[in-house]
Amino acid sequence: MEKQVMEYASGNEMAAVAIRQIGYDLMGYYPITPSTQIAENLDAMRATGETDLVMIAAEGEHSAAGICYGASVGGGRVINATSANGLLYALEQFPVQSGTRYPMVMNVVCRTVSGPLSIKGDHSDIMYLLNAGWPILFAHTVQQVYDFNLIALKLAEEVRLPVVVAYDGFFTSHQKRRCMRFEKDETVRQFIGEKREDYPFLDLNQPITVGSYMNEPDIINNRYQLHLAMKEAAERIPELFAAYEKLSGRKYEMAEGYHHTDASELLVLLGSSYETAKEGVDKLRGDGTAAGAVTLNVLRPFPEKEMFAACEKAERIMVADRQDSYGAWGGNLSLEVRAMMQKFGGRAKIKSLVYGLGGLDFFAEDAEKMLGILNDPEAPDFSYYGVTAGDADKTADRGNFFAPLTRERTAVGATTVQKDADGEVRVKGGTLNATAAMPKRIAPGHGACPGCGIPVNLNLLLRAIEDPVVLLFQTGCGMIVTTAYPRTSFKVPYLHNLFQNGAATLSGLAEICYRKQKKGEIPPGDIVFVMVSGDGGMDIGMGSAIGTALRGHRILLFEYDNGGYMNTGYQLSYSTPKGARSATSHVGKMQYGKTFFHKDMPRIMAATGIPYIATVAESNPTDFIRKAAKAAHYAKTEGTAYVKALSACPLNWNDNPATERRVIEAGVNCCYFPLFEIERGKTTLSFDPDAAGKKIPVTDWLAMMGRTRHLCREEYRPVAESLQQEIDRRYERLKLDAEKKAN
Amino acid sequence: MAENINQILEKQDYFGIRLESIGGLGANLCGKMLGELAVRYLNLNSAAFSSYGSEKTGTPVKGYIRYCLPDKEIRIHAPVVHPDLLAVFHQALMQDAGVWKGCGSQTKVLVALDEGQENLSGGLPDCIRECYVVNARQIAMESKSRINVVMLGAIAKVMGVMQLEDVRQICRDSLGRKYPDALEGNLKGLEGGYAQVRQLALHTETVSGKEKQGGDSQEWGYTTAPIGGINPRFGNTAVADLSPSRQGYIPLFIKERCINCGLCDTTCPDMVFQFSRGEYNGREMMVNQGLDYYHCKGCMRCVNVCPVNALVQGAESEHAQKQYFLPNQDMLRTPDYYVESGPDGYITSESFFTEVRMKGGEV
Repeated sequence: MEKQVMEYASGNEMAAVAIRQIGYDLMGYYPITPSTQIAENLDAMRATGETDLVMIAAEGEHSAAGICYGASVGGGRVINATSANGLLYALEQFPVQSGTRYPMVMNVVCRTVSGPLSIKGDHSDIMYLLNAGWPILFAHTVQQVYDFNLIALKLAEEVRLPVVVAYDGFFTSHQKRRCMRFEKDETVRQFIGEKREDYPFLDLNQPITVGSYMNEPDIINNRYQLHLAMKEAAERIPELFAAYEKLSGRKYEMAEGYHHTDASELLVLLGSSYETAKEGVDKLRGDGTAAGAVTLNVLRPFPEKEMFAACEKAERIMVADRQDSYGAWGGNLSLEVRAMMQKFGGRAKIKSLVYGLGGLDFFAEDAEKMLGILNDPEAPDFSYYGVTAGDADKTADRGNFFAPLTRERTAVGATTVQKDADGEVRVKGGTLNATAAMPKRIAPGHGACPGCGIPVNLNLLLRAIEDPVVLLFQTGCGMIVTTAYPRTSFKVPYLHNLFQNGAATLSGLAEICYRKQKKGEIPPGDIVFVMVSGDGGMDIGMGSAIGTALRGHRILLFEYDNGGYMNTGYQLSYSTPKGARSATSHVGKMQYGKTFFHKDMPRIMAATGIPYIATVAESNPTDFIRKAAKAAHYAKTEGTAYVKALSACPLNWNDNPATERRVIEAGVNCCYFPLFEIERGKTTLSFDPDAAGKKIPVTDWLAMMGRTRHLCREEYRPVAESLQQEIDRRYERLKLDAEKKAN
Repeated sequence: MAENINQILEKQDYFGIRLESIGGLGANLCGKMLGELAVRYLNLNSAAFSSYGSEKTGTPVKGYIRYCLPDKEIRIHAPVVHPDLLAVFHQALMQDAGVWKGCGSQTKVLVALDEGQENLSGGLPDCIRECYVVNARQIAMESKSRINVVMLGAIAKVMGVMQLEDVRQICRDSLGRKYPDALEGNLKGLEGGYAQVRQLALHTETVSGKEKQGGDSQEWGYTTAPIGGINPRFGNTAVADLSPSRQGYIPLFIKERCINCGLCDTTCPDMVFQFSRGEYNGREMMVNQGLDYYHCKGCMRCVNVCPVNALVQGAESEHAQKQYFLPNQDMLRTPDYYVESGPDGYITSESFFTEVRMKGGEV
């Protein structure tokens, strides 16, 4: 056995330790709870020089999987980590990875698939991977996360298939446990061995084609090769487990059980619940019941023989799934256990339960109760465990807290927009006092941090719009803090859809509204459709937004730019300032923060030729309101409008909530966030800090926020200077565009 | 504590600790240190984790630590339901019935309590037999540390089996490597907690913790919830009373000074300002009538933008009767009861770590 040291760590931390020790070449990733900590931990190690892993923060999971694919084709050792909707968004890449036979490892930290959106743990995501052609090792302890990460890469390279290490989100990923790791990285590397490439892609003297166009009769042969590789994996995994046992002293089997050999009733479940269930089994054994529990350490290839051996003697089996294969009357594990028992002639009576969805806790007593259901002849073969019927009396509607915001109520006459004879769209009014008459579309009591900029910007936007509004939010802090069930802050129709798909969704919604109005099915009258995005939503959702803009739907796209993925704990987004510290751009001796410039989203949108684009800031509230009114006008009458606000995040910008407006003002005055509009292609500067004598160097703004203050130190001067140059370059170009109009 | 943990663990499998805190006080790290301490220095096995959610300043956080004998595996992954020790990091949390869930006569309670609050307003549940208090906020401020290390020290003392030096060492292991500059203050905070925690004499007439319900009970089940997760009760976050989230200060309105410019209404994230049609200086316009303190989180944005000092910061304790307190005018009815909830920056703004963060330091 090789020397090991004790760690007190969580599953995600141990995954990162394993990845560092293995010495991977590249990680392509995109932050998603609860897997994000893996990338965060690795980035922190990069900053201190503990690893030289190349880390690429993609603009979405689909791209992250693509980055990983490209890097693995190139012969690199490649790692990814994701969860839930990220896994599903990337799904189509996974069969390509396995079908073209490029090994890599991906940690899937299991979480509930939306919607409604839930960030907690269950197995609804991992089961989508059953048909992807990836072996899936399922770790049910923190220790296994480490161990399986080492075994996974060796397996992947031996059978030339990508491999998943799956484990429970939060229960395993976040709970800290005593566990062991090898003292020396060398031990790990020797175990895994040298990477072998049968067809080195980058050997220019032997060019190869990867990704043929293949139909019948060939594709079935390719798939058969994949099937054979999976069979090989089934043979190799026990051997690798045995080799690993020699090295570590820890023994693993494809399927394992607890008091199962002489059990008459068995509970079969996956993940951390298996561990908890052992406590229930002990209790039942103490009471004289012959109970046992069984789980899988390998989900693919499905260890049918090992499972049958583990279940063979039982008279009754309860398979509990943390997901459902809706309409198949059981979760996937339950279906596979039933099929396996049928195949081998098992006689046990089998029942299935769906439990623990959305991270609903599983207690040892639940294991006892589940076996109680198994033994109850009256209980159905399949049911849900832990659902609540609800009490109609208790939940009776006591009446609305607010009167509906009718067209009449919002037409306060504080801001008017008209198209003049010269064709110019002009806004009248919009003063702060008069627009205070606008009823708020968002109710108080939401859960945003004190001083958060998101509600401030939304209120400024909406107080200018005198027509009814319909809101759609992409995933982000803005929706998390306003709609925690069973409450909602919205007083107007509100829809949340996926992180990357807001603009497209609103396109469809608006078009059906216009159609219904045309057909007379709903009353006529202008309605302003507003898509709200932020927290990096314009990275992953940019394609959808550009597509919408190109089609020219009459909707308003509003971006609150808070410069990071704040809802998941501040990872870098493409609109994070260069040099800023974040959870995936640490500052250390090897790294100065984020390495590339903030995205110039208005200019990207300008290229789509939409009629109205504006940048707004709460520090210039009247300008904000007037632009919002104009944007609404264009969104009603001509086509897509795009408005972007710089939005403060006291928690992650690391500044004082009270003074956020000054920070925003400084962002404007240093020209990091210039205020302008592009109206039918014509650029107008709304405020020229130079001319107003208010121009400040960017370092004055950076010094106001803890996330960027380090850039004001001498050692980071080149970074701050490069940011200053980029800002100046963008601002000069903007001024030139604005002058063109004047001429 | 009458029995030490090893004696207890001879009788029961686990010793469970629950930390009740709010995001920003460092309970997660405290739990991790408590867990690691047991493994490294107490010859015990342990598991430590927190309740999970989206990461916001001040949302309620629970920390769970389980201790057991060293050769026992910790197989339970579920939260600590019946704590042997309950540590409440912020006295405002005592109002929350959920904090006391599962407590019984076996539960030792430790509360971070400000000076002069010994009557435990809001009260302990009747079943509590042993209660300790420590002025964690003051100790943290004086030592330039954070609530979490003070509570760690106090918990160590209350547990009885922990050597101060071991706790100091775990603090060095966990914090010293990451934040070497803050180590000295943290050790001071830790020692302060250890030295100053004291047992509270419980009178039999201690007021029992009142059972609280959710405002306008909304807990739907599958027979009552609209399908698809649809929520037809628009605007019902208004039942939240966000006053526990304030940092001890509120904006005070001096109406005579107000020029009704409306800037406050444009900077408030929480829809606190109540404007309605009225007359000001002989002109009909929107007039600021007052503040809805139910929903004010005390961020002080309004005080910062007010051009005429009509909004000033005041200590909430000195203004129990809030002048110009005007609940949201748009509401058709008052909730049956407001639900105290929401974020809390209470200690964070005065924490050494927050200062370090704002200065750009690594925390």
